[in-house]
Amino acid sequence: MEIMSMFWVLASFVILLFIIGIYYLLVTRNLLRILIGMEILTKGVTLLLVAAGYLTGRTNIIQPIIITMIVVEVVIIAVAAGVVIAAYRSNGTVNIRSLRNLKG
Amino acid sequence: MITLFIAVPLVVVLILNLLPRKLANALSFWCGMALTVISGVYVLTTSQSSWLFGFDPVKRILNWEIVPSDLSAVMFVSIALVVFSAFWVGQYLFSDKNRQFIFNNLLLLCMVGMNGVVFSRDLFTLYVFLEIVAASSFILIALEKTKAGIEGAFKYVLLSAIATVLILSSIALLFMTCGSLDYHTVRACLTSGQLDAGASRFALFAVCLFVAGLFIKGGIVPFHGWLPDAYSSAPTAASVLLGGIVTKAAGVFTLVQLAQNVFGFDKPSPVLLGFGMLSIAVGAFAALGQKDFKRMLAYSSISQIGYIIIGLGSANVFGVVGAIFHIFNHSVFKTLLFVNAAAVEKQSGTVDMDRLGGLSNKMPVTGFTSVLAFLSTAGVPPLSGFWSKLLIILGVWQSGSPTVAIIAILLSLMTLAYFLSMQRRVFFGKLAAGLEEIREADFRALVPAVVLAVITLVIGLIFPWLLGTFLVPLESLL
Repeated sequence: MEIMSMFWVLASFVILLFIIGIYYLLVTRNLLRILIGMEILTKGVTLLLVAAGYLTGRTNIIQPIIITMIVVEVVIIAVAAGVVIAAYRSNGTVNIRSLRNLKG
Repeated sequence: MITLFIAVPLVVVLILNLLPRKLANALSFWCGMALTVISGVYVLTTSQSSWLFGFDPVKRILNWEIVPSDLSAVMFVSIALVVFSAFWVGQYLFSDKNRQFIFNNLLLLCMVGMNGVVFSRDLFTLYVFLEIVAASSFILIALEKTKAGIEGAFKYVLLSAIATVLILSSIALLFMTCGSLDYHTVRACLTSGQLDAGASRFALFAVCLFVAGLFIKGGIVPFHGWLPDAYSSAPTAASVLLGGIVTKAAGVFTLVQLAQNVFGFDKPSPVLLGFGMLSIAVGAFAALGQKDFKRMLAYSSISQIGYIIIGLGSANVFGVVGAIFHIFNHSVFKTLLFVNAAAVEKQSGTVDMDRLGGLSNKMPVTGFTSVLAFLSTAGVPPLSGFWSKLLIILGVWQSGSPTVAIIAILLSLMTLAYFLSMQRRVFFGKLAAGLEEIREADFRALVPAVVLAVITLVIGLIFPWLLGTFLVPLESLL
């Protein structure tokens, strides 16, 4: 019982983080803020993994997974930030409307 | 032994970056050549059920136990072939030595990632390698820092991040249900029927999330938004890699492997058939209206990937074998078409089909190989693309959805239509104004083109013999 109630606390935070992240991705027009939205979603997933480990009682498996995931995530976000910097240098703005030239 | 496919390219990248730059610039291309050739030859000669000659996989598929190494052999060969071509095209397109070096490094890293995706036997390992492929593809797309390239890369970054979130959530939910992540345990847990109703609905939700994530990575319609932008805006040498293998290794092959080995799809799946049909139709109609050579090839990729998905959705022997065979064929002929696009772009300076025309006389090899590639894509008999499409359509027909099979055949005619329009506008007809001085591309673009054209022709011609060797086990079972 103790485990389940703790699990629901974690799960509601996960859902909250997902809603915040998706809302943020939908409303923002700033490329950097899109990266922040992506990070918030990823934090939600990390918490979900923690919850999974807690619920199954296999924290020893889930801990290395979470650490690896954080490392991989940093690599991805660094590359993504590089793309945003390149976009800023070529367009002079971080508004997402500057990236609307490819169509069809 | 098989871990060497990941370890060796990684070590080579490290060593290349430690060497003095001049030496490394000269070495990187030849290291790549050696690696791809050795890995291709190694897979073809040593695996017991080599794809081309033994055709054992079919027997395994009949018993519904694809041993991963058989599927993997096909993918290792396709990866080696496409990366081989991309090395040549990179050498041909980039005049700057440093850019060439960066490109070669990224190719090797991408190869590490793709080999890892094929090799992994654990959902989380799969995720790590998928991210390696994605990260190196982002850089490859934005390599030349053009406005379009950056836009294409950012769209890919965004959609790939969403795919990652879906895949990781699914991994967490599957861990919650099964308590483990390796393929065997998850498969046993999902297919044993020991889960109660609530848990099995939970697991189904997790599988749906995973499949949606892979659909984004593979560029299946309605999740295809990033794909044409990324392919057409990337430097053409990177498009060769992306169009040839990346979406297939990261999205489609992973889907095939997971569907067969982990999720245990053993009934015809209307969802996969529906998404496949949608991809075939949308890709074909969108390709018809394109002016940009590379963009048209991108939409054609979406359409061809639809065939692979319906083959998988039919969930019977013909369909699944056809799907795997089509993955191989598609990576051969789509790479060939992108190599031709690279040659046209470099020699004429444009990929706008309205400004090209009549190149066939001036560039005979490029023109001829592109005709072979498009006939193979359209599924015209003696070429390899015909056989895989035939198997897929037979499979779909047998799975009890003849309407889907008939629509797939009709849409195959659309493939012929848009490629004929491409051929007429680029290679046939009158020579366009301003292109009188154009010459054939040099050997660096012709080597991969000729190799790939010979492969598609030879596999098409010897397929009746392959059919004879592998229809025997089929007949004994039916």
